[in-house]
Amino acid sequence: MDASNPPPAQEPLARDDRASGSDGAVLTVNDLRVCFAGDRTTTTAVDGVSFTLRKGRSLGVVGESGSGKSVSSLAVLRLLPTDSAQISGEILFAGQDLLSIGEKQMRNLRGNQISMIFQEPMTSLNPSYTVGDQVAETILRHRSVSKAEAWTQAVEMLRLVRIPSPETRARQYPHNLSGGMRQRVMIAMALACEPQVLIADEPTTALDVTIQAQILDLLENLKSTTGTAIVLITHDLGVVAEACDDVIVMYAGQVVESGSVEQIFSFPQHPYTVGLLGSLPRLDEERDELVAIGGTVPDMTQPPAGCRFAARCPFRIEKCAETPPMLEVNPGHTSRCWRTPLEELADEF
Amino acid sequence: MLRLLGHRLLQLIPTIFILSLIIFSLQHLLPGDPALALAGENPDPETVAAIRARYGLDQPIFMQYLYWVGGVLTGDLGLSMRHNLPVTTLVLQKLPVTLQLAIMGIVLALVFGVVGGVIAAVRRNTSIDYAANVVSLAGISVPNFWLGIMLILLFSIQLRWLPASGYVPLSVDWRMNLATTVMPAFVLGTAIAGIIMRHTRSAMIQALESDYVRTARAKGLSPTVVVVKHAMRNALTPIITLGALEFGALLSGAVLTEQIFAIPGFGKLIVDAVFTRDYAVVQGVVLVTALFYITLNLLADIGYILANPRLRS
Ligand SMILES: Nc1ncnc2c1ncn2[C@@H]1O[C@H](COP(=O)(O)OP(=O)(O)OP(=O)(O)O)[C@@H](O)[C@H]1O
Ligand code: SF4
Ligand SMILES: [Mg+2]
Repeated sequence: MDASNPPPAQEPLARDDRASGSDGAVLTVNDLRVCFAGDRTTTTAVDGVSFTLRKGRSLGVVGESGSGKSVSSLAVLRLLPTDSAQISGEILFAGQDLLSIGEKQMRNLRGNQISMIFQEPMTSLNPSYTVGDQVAETILRHRSVSKAEAWTQAVEMLRLVRIPSPETRARQYPHNLSGGMRQRVMIAMALACEPQVLIADEPTTALDVTIQAQILDLLENLKSTTGTAIVLITHDLGVVAEACDDVIVMYAGQVVESGSVEQIFSFPQHPYTVGLLGSLPRLDEERDELVAIGGTVPDMTQPPAGCRFAARCPFRIEKCAETPPMLEVNPGHTSRCWRTPLEELADEF
Repeated sequence: MLRLLGHRLLQLIPTIFILSLIIFSLQHLLPGDPALALAGENPDPETVAAIRARYGLDQPIFMQYLYWVGGVLTGDLGLSMRHNLPVTTLVLQKLPVTLQLAIMGIVLALVFGVVGGVIAAVRRNTSIDYAANVVSLAGISVPNFWLGIMLILLFSIQLRWLPASGYVPLSVDWRMNLATTVMPAFVLGTAIAGIIMRHTRSAMIQALESDYVRTARAKGLSPTVVVVKHAMRNALTPIITLGALEFGALLSGAVLTEQIFAIPGFGKLIVDAVFTRDYAVVQGVVLVTALFYITLNLLADIGYILANPRLRS
């Protein structure tokens, strides 16, 4: 996992490598920065985020509310408001930087090569069209097929996401379907053109627990049948443990730790991750949001100098007033903390 | 959906009944005795009595109401005392004029209001949006009579492009018909265009910020498809109702504009009737416009149901 953004002198070759995708990367984000210019203040919602999504794998993105998860993913699809959001960095997909291609080229990728599903299944579908129409619309947009053929494929997609009697359901409107069913429709729509990347922004947060498990199961299955790589954004570390291969942990617009699921869950290196895992309820209990660490996220209109987690960190030292770099703990496992590796400090916590 | 419609139709019965009571009692609310007014200076009692008998004014009120309702149902709106003509004839004479103006006005209003509102929403907080806001505010706040006079001054007196007043029926000469109606229709349309533009703009902004529009963009659809197929489809449903109400208002409320341009429509008919206490005409015009209003409302509701899958099924 190359989620680091080290000074170029340290790792120049690795970066070139990523850009060419020779390590199986389908999507590589380098030093992504997103600012929203307000009337008086500027919010830096995403501040130097880097990660790599590899073919056929799923990458979990965790972090508290406001840490920049949604903004990062919307930036990848260039769906942020163009008048207020300033985006910089690199988003490498299929050999090109998505931030420098034309809007028309970008539209050809959206819903086709890179798809996205959202948190709110209740409002994410258009109430005025049947769900079949809405799935078929994506197919018609990106494939040269007849309307009848697109409809047949749409019904097949609805079957694939295990919607019962898809022929009938396709002719219904969103208000006839439950939240879980609507999210399945969203997934069918997103996967209809067999994209390389699916970004799922908290796809189960609005659903109740049993439906959550079914949807995650479905995503997991579809990943193995279609080979689509998945970015799964969530508040829920339990979801990450179940459904992901790699993880990045975000805090205040930055990636603070990244690694494989095993690395992060067995040897968490960043004090914030340790805190999150400490607050992880046991898997048989109902899951909670990540709120168990004392203190609050810093104000992103004036992010603090030095380590952004310092105000809440039990391991804070003087050096933490300087900005920590991403440090490698183990191959593929990095942490943005001066006291990395953290193992020997475990007693202090 | 059928149940909804049936419900809606049932509601019409009490509405129409109350309406008929109000319209009928109009004549008893207006001051003055129509028989006296009609009999001329220093009438002798016999003439007055004869007039009363002729127009049914000597019957008890309850009977007068029944006669009136019975007449209305058979298309007889009574007799205009002043013109000595059936009210139905008068109404049918003036209706096409008012109807034409109202249709032209509402079409202008819808075209400018919807197009302007959509563009303002898509380009919100740009100079185009600000300009559209100023124009719509002007449309709403400039009084019709003032705008009418200004148009006459400019196009009739200065430029001599259009006749200042009068009306030529469509069947006589369509060019002259257009020349005599374009200014009043524009005056009527601007105020409504301003209102429709504001509603369209805010509904469109809401739609453009909605999750389903974000989904539509995430599918790779072009901005035109996103705006027209996804956002407008939902944002414009309430405009159906608004348009119908404003159209109804145009049918009844063009009094000043018709006066300024000397257009012989409902406005002029009712003003003359009120001043001469020609009750049957007042009743007839009010009744016809009210029925139009109710019908338009019903049509708007049906349109709203048809446009809304949640209500349709
Ligand atoms: N369109 C926007 N304009 C201005 N600021 C924005 C906009 N969208 C997001 N932000 C700000 O960016 C920051 C990051 O928001 P983001 O939605 O990415 O958080 P998140 O990690 O997805 O949180 P959540 O878990 O609540 O979804 C927040 O402070 C938010 O207020
Ligand atoms: S750098 Fe310092 S303050 Fe920041 S997480 Fe590490 S120990 Fe805590
Ligand atoms: Mg979010």
